[in-house]
Amino acid sequence: MKHFWVQQRITFLVFTVISLLILAGCYLFSITLSKTSFASGTILLLCIFFLASYQLRKKISFLPLGSSAAWLRFHIFIGFLSFVVFALHSRLQIPNGLLEVILFLTYYIVFLSGIFGWFLSRTIPYRLLSRGEEVLFERIPMHRNKIHDRVKTLIFDDAQPEQGAALPDFYHKHLQEFFEGPRHQISHILHSERHLHQLKQKISALQPFLDEQEQVRLQQIAEQIQLKDDLDYQYIFQAIIKLWLFVHVPLTYSLIIFSLYHALAACAFASTSG
Amino acid sequence: MSEPSISRPRRWDKPFSLEPGSEDEMTDTAVEILLGKPPFSEIDPAGFKRSLPLHDIIKNDARIIGFDDGDIVVRRGDWGNSAFFILSGNVRVGLERGKPTLPDEILGRHDNKVKTLWESFAQLWRNHSVPEVRKLDSVFSKSELKTRHAHNSTRIYLQEVSAVLDKYHTARLDAGHWFGELAALGRTSRVATVFSEGVSQLLEIRWQGIRDILRHDQNGKLKQYIEDAFRERALAAFLRTTPLFHDCQPELMQRIVDQVEFHTFGNYDSPKPFKDLIENQDHTTEGGEPVIIREGDYPSGIVMIRSGLARISQRHYNGRRTVGYLSPGQIFGLDEIRAEVQSLTPVGCSTQLSAIGHLNAVLVPTALVEELLKQNGSVGAADLHEVKTHVSDSGSNSVKINDDTLLSQLVDQNFVQGTSLMVIDLERCTRCDDCVRACSTAHDNNPRFIRHGPILNQYMVPNSCLHCVDPICMIECPTGAIFRDFAQGDIIINEQTCIGCAQCASNCPFDAIRMVDIRDSKGNIIVDSKTRSPLTQATKCDLCIDQKGGPACERACPHDALFRVDMQDAAQVGEAFSR
Repeated sequence: MKHFWVQQRITFLVFTVISLLILAGCYLFSITLSKTSFASGTILLLCIFFLASYQLRKKISFLPLGSSAAWLRFHIFIGFLSFVVFALHSRLQIPNGLLEVILFLTYYIVFLSGIFGWFLSRTIPYRLLSRGEEVLFERIPMHRNKIHDRVKTLIFDDAQPEQGAALPDFYHKHLQEFFEGPRHQISHILHSERHLHQLKQKISALQPFLDEQEQVRLQQIAEQIQLKDDLDYQYIFQAIIKLWLFVHVPLTYSLIIFSLYHALAACAFASTSG
Repeated sequence: MSEPSISRPRRWDKPFSLEPGSEDEMTDTAVEILLGKPPFSEIDPAGFKRSLPLHDIIKNDARIIGFDDGDIVVRRGDWGNSAFFILSGNVRVGLERGKPTLPDEILGRHDNKVKTLWESFAQLWRNHSVPEVRKLDSVFSKSELKTRHAHNSTRIYLQEVSAVLDKYHTARLDAGHWFGELAALGRTSRVATVFSEGVSQLLEIRWQGIRDILRHDQNGKLKQYIEDAFRERALAAFLRTTPLFHDCQPELMQRIVDQVEFHTFGNYDSPKPFKDLIENQDHTTEGGEPVIIREGDYPSGIVMIRSGLARISQRHYNGRRTVGYLSPGQIFGLDEIRAEVQSLTPVGCSTQLSAIGHLNAVLVPTALVEELLKQNGSVGAADLHEVKTHVSDSGSNSVKINDDTLLSQLVDQNFVQGTSLMVIDLERCTRCDDCVRACSTAHDNNPRFIRHGPILNQYMVPNSCLHCVDPICMIECPTGAIFRDFAQGDIIINEQTCIGCAQCASNCPFDAIRMVDIRDSKGNIIVDSKTRSPLTQATKCDLCIDQKGGPACERACPHDALFRVDMQDAAQVGEAFSR
């Protein structure tokens, strides 16, 4: 852990020094009345290319190109550095052309989604470990169906003809929707168990009206409710960590296309832009 | 879908004498001649099963091979899969005593064949889209070593034997001697290089054959021979691997060698103890494991682990808590004997030692250890501390980690067997599956592990081959298709000789070996011509042995969550689990 903090401090120091060097370089360049946009734009384009290359690195992980973890650290470093260069390049102003506005927004979305992803990758593993069984994302629907089948068996298959309809009624009223698919995503994200608490209260309220055998079954159903809720918890967080990449990666490619177009246009009109 | 037919391979479809390197096919006459001479004439054939007679074992699992002057028979460091019996001529065994050993260059040691940069890159589009495609007609790659062709095989040889004999210390073994049996049966690497001096003729027996002979030989002569051979040839070197014995005087060492006791716990041949251990989690040290030294007892000597693993535990309330474990080469009981030498009052062990599964240990009697400590002048507190530090630095102390619960789980589930245990830190893992994808790309689109397995605290141990220190998956393999890679010692499955019997998969207590239906390059499932059932083969993690950068899974993890750890390496284990 001590090593980790030392590494973080060194990284921060290097980042600060490089950022200051870039800012100083641009300032010195500008006082010669030269245009700094080309220099900052070129650095920014290189940064974007490097950032995008991490996706390629992931595809060719069998080549000895260094560990993915080292690449990710560098990816984050360059990502933050690109923000400094972008701020310099755009002068922290919203541009006025349509393409530039799109480019501006795309960069910000990619940058912010990157920070969001970084935050998710550091928080979600802890949350996934805090509740429920570790289940592969692709297998969650299968497990959910199994739980649902078990509950239906408990309520319907073993029901004796002389027994009342308390459990089936309860199922149709309160459980059917809950077991049919992933539920209470927002509550899970907010780390709230209010829905579970409410369901348990309903179970407690029903209990005095059941005979001994039905009470045993209700208890077993309550266990399945807990399992299903834990599965939903796993599902939503695994889904979030997979889904954010569907924003970050496609928009990165869009950003590259817009940036190249922007660079070509800037070069083409360089002589007339003053 | 067309179904190419092929006969399912069976044990002894390919006798050892038909494998590359053999001179002639083993004939019935040759077998009869061998069975008429010692030591085979001393084996009682009546004890063997009808389906597995001694005659057939010799015929199919043995071969006679000839060697010319300087031909290397086995090399130090290679993994032993067979034993040798000298029929005629003599061989030289390289020794280490005070002189340098034969260097790697003259032994022709080389690195594994790994994919070129282009071949690695081409995996992106050359990998098959259908699973488990096999090249059935593929042959082993040719060696690029400096070799010569003799006796129908290609051999590495020493160019000037006389110069080698002058420069390096060797011992001569004549006709009638065995060698290589310790490595073959112990599933360990060869401890010495053996080369032919002049022309010699040897009988080489696959370890599966030796194992069957040992099982059914009621006279037990071969077993006794192997034990005697260990005492005579390897015991001193084995003891010297521990710093305590480094400076031992020759006279005392000889007495130690003579008086050391061998102890075995569990069954050598059977994987059952491991299976029991995994399946029955209630087996604590009190319950299922044989106790070697009890807590509170004064040790009758120091216990040095030869093979297998031992648990160190301590009484905790009304149960026992695991506080460490020992792997081969590590010792137990030294602290107590040292304390006794210092205070002249016997001190009972503060911990208990018990065997996990099968264990081979040597016990050096207390009196000799005391004499050794006095001889080394290590009786003073400062000196004793030095010896202790010396032992710790060399990794010969027990393996410990800060988290007792985690340690206990690792031992209980037998993950301490792993020399390359895959561990995923779930506090870092984002479940992105990059590790599985990287594994898949490196193995023709067939991942060799599943990111699913037992969770110990925050660590998951996925269903991936551990590359066990004592790979019980190899025990029952009838053809030797699952073997240790000669260079690295990693456990590999040879697709050419795997008959799909699933013995390895059923023996593996970690579910790390899967049986898969194999296909031809067109994607058709290959079926057995007789049974019409699909041909299956075993697959498992091979540590990306043919890939340029080593295990792809480890390098593919963006969050450093996946790591591999050699559970025999005390320092590495401590570091890995305290990141």
